[in-house]
Amino acid sequence: MKTMLMTAIKTSISEVMETMFFLPVEFGRELALAQSRIDKYNFYFACQLTFTGDLSGHLIIMAPKSLVAEMAENFMGETKELLTDEHLSGTLMEMLNMVCGNALSKTNSQVPFEMGIPEMINASEVSENEVFIIVETTESKMAIALKMD
Amino acid sequence: MSYSILIVDDSLPMRSVIKRTLKAAGYGKSEMLEAANGQEAIDIMEKSWIDIVITDYNMPMMDGLAFIKTIKSAELSKDIPVVVISTAGNESKIKEFMDCGATGYITKPFSAEEIRDLLVKILGEVNYEDDVDDGNQDFDF
Repeated sequence: MKTMLMTAIKTSISEVMETMFFLPVEFGRELALAQSRIDKYNFYFACQLTFTGDLSGHLIIMAPKSLVAEMAENFMGETKELLTDEHLSGTLMEMLNMVCGNALSKTNSQVPFEMGIPEMINASEVSENEVFIIVETTESKMAIALKMD
Repeated sequence: MSYSILIVDDSLPMRSVIKRTLKAAGYGKSEMLEAANGQEAIDIMEKSWIDIVITDYNMPMMDGLAFIKTIKSAELSKDIPVVVISTAGNESKIKEFMDCGATGYITKPFSAEEIRDLLVKILGEVNYEDDVDDGNQDFDF
């Protein structure tokens, strides 16, 4: 079931990134954060969203500020200069919300899923042992982790 | 004809996207008011005439369901149409909203055409030629 959900998450990331943020993506390996060459201390925005149902757990996404700014610019149709950190964090939370909702809708669950409200977390506090899938755009990359309860 | 549209969503970017989509859908001349949660929306509705509410369901303080129940139980606001914007995967929630009096719903991602079609059904035809925002006609959300 976790494998099926992870496949649905990847499909949803592709769909949401292309249709809402106009950024095609490719998927890299699953790596522990320590192995991923992601510097969590360097302008990384991170947020998480919990869900409960047939499967319960949470999704964590981390992305550099430059990529989140590009996403927000495409999403809102505003130039980067006009975007505040509230716009950026809101964009990343909305992206995670859509990815999670779309992915859960692709599973054949018997019990309806309940999703929480996305929340920003401190990227520097994410464990180096956390396993992330690397999601690459043409000029940047982000990382997403699925943790089951 | 222009309308007074209340957009209720805790996400600032999402409120911007909804406003932009409404402009592209022909509602550029309408007044668009914003609230970050149900309680803020009720405060606005007590002071302003609202033709239609477009609300998210998953919000802090007062979520979409509590918000709809509140306005549908008040004499002054019970007839105001409410459209719920939901993430896919919340079909059971959508049924709850419709049972509580929501007029319609849209799931994300949505297009300007979907919003326009639903609002035309609820409010009547909008003069698209007059109201359209020429700079934002060709995008989907």
